[in-house]
Amino acid sequence: MTIHDQQSRPPEHDLHGVEMTPDERELLDLFRRLRRLAERRDLAPCVSANVKQAMVMVWNACNDLALVDAPPGHD
Amino acid sequence: MPDADWPAYWNPKHETLPREALGRLQARKLHRLVQGAYDRSPFHRRRFDAAGLRPDDIRSLDDLRRIPLMTREEWMQNQAERPLFGDLVTRSRDDAIRYHLTSGTSGRQPLRVLDSRADWSWIGEMWCYGFWGFGVRPRDIVFFAFSYGSFIGFWGAHYASEKIGCLVLPSGNMTTDARVRQIVEMEATTVCATPTYALRMAQAAQALGIDLARDSKVDKLIVSGEPAGSIPATKRLIEEMWGAKCGDTAGMTEIGTIMIFECDHQPGGTHIIEDNFIEEVLDPETGEPVPYGKEGERVVTSFGRDFIPLIRYRTRDLVKKVPHDTCSCGRTGDIYAGGILGRVDDMKCIRGTNVYPRAVESIVREHPEIEEFQIVLTREDGVRDEISVHVELAADRQDAWQGMAKHLGRALADAHEGLRFNLELAPPGSLPRFELKAKRLQDRRAEGAR
Ligand SMILES: [Zn+2]
Repeated sequence: MTIHDQQSRPPEHDLHGVEMTPDERELLDLFRRLRRLAERRDLAPCVSANVKQAMVMVWNACNDLALVDAPPGHD
Repeated sequence: MPDADWPAYWNPKHETLPREALGRLQARKLHRLVQGAYDRSPFHRRRFDAAGLRPDDIRSLDDLRRIPLMTREEWMQNQAERPLFGDLVTRSRDDAIRYHLTSGTSGRQPLRVLDSRADWSWIGEMWCYGFWGFGVRPRDIVFFAFSYGSFIGFWGAHYASEKIGCLVLPSGNMTTDARVRQIVEMEATTVCATPTYALRMAQAAQALGIDLARDSKVDKLIVSGEPAGSIPATKRLIEEMWGAKCGDTAGMTEIGTIMIFECDHQPGGTHIIEDNFIEEVLDPETGEPVPYGKEGERVVTSFGRDFIPLIRYRTRDLVKKVPHDTCSCGRTGDIYAGGILGRVDDMKCIRGTNVYPRAVESIVREHPEIEEFQIVLTREDGVRDEISVHVELAADRQDAWQGMAKHLGRALADAHEGLRFNLELAPPGSLPRFELKAKRLQDRRAEGAR
């Protein structure tokens, strides 16, 4: 496993210090992948705008479940 | 999916979180909020520097009180000095997707607010807590009696209803009669309006020969924008006229969304969404915290809005916090008993007696024949303050006036240390009507002094 892989792997615990469920891990991973796409400037308008829209919605679910502690940026 | 199969909570993980864990979550989010504000909002950085505070000083909820309180006046001044948006905002206008204005009550300069895409998704999310909590489900048909203008009002509630999966009926440009007819024709189950406008629609329905309790499918009214949504007599009147239960919510343009909502157990108050806000109740004079059960001023810290970090913002709203278990729904968010009770500056002193518009309304609304009313304060001979209540009766109930005036005058006096209220009957249709925030108090005392 590379250092990059380790860094991008979701942490094991939510903000309460409780181990994440498999669903929570998947959700957080999905959010991070969408946010990486949202940061890109080389995507077609139809991709970029819809990815941002999806990213902020998934961020809400992560925020509701205490998987993130700040607004997402790149929106 | 049948309604009964859905969970009772929008966010089961946080709405039933033990309060200790809730406090730890708030502390963590507070630290992050303060760090972000310090790094990205020059307005906040100056205030922190002036107070000798660094973000790392804020480690627990006990540290919250070290942060200076923020006022609307500071924000207005910041926007005036650095037009258009001041440097409270953390991002450039290019990042925003929407612009709104405060409603500008009390003749003050309105505040200008910007929000990003994520901010708007969060604004809708907060309304989802409230709508789901009052029983809105995907099968519901939600009617918005709202003008969709520059006032933020029910915009977020509209998005929340779409997010939940409801069928949404917007009615921006419709007349009151057309709204009533569409509510019936489209079989709306949920109606969103100010308490005042909910009553007005019910009155209009009666004039059209429509009995909303019988002829409509509405079983939920969700009201916002005025304290009246939690005044028992007003709420009872709305529920009777619509044959539906009425749930209160309250928000503010400064945070973009609601921070409190009434759940479907209707505990006579509104739960605080505590995983997204810290709500303090302070003595408005001393700034000291007041205990459960005592009235004080709401001070809000909001975690979700990226553009506008709001930290210990003095709202001037008068509230009374009671513990979460006052309600039987299982939510662990504390409750504002009676919702927003009014404004700290609402209280008027008439010949030595304190008068709150909310208390007057709660007595006036005991009389369903009263369609509209106004409280008028005047100063006679430059010294003697007088309080009058102008009352407008339903056109077909003018005969009720004689008996009612006597009873109403006595009830108002009894509730105000014997203070005499002058009652005047206003002709039908003569008093102002409101779709947004009702203004039912005219203080003309300064005019008399000139
Ligand atoms: Zn409840």
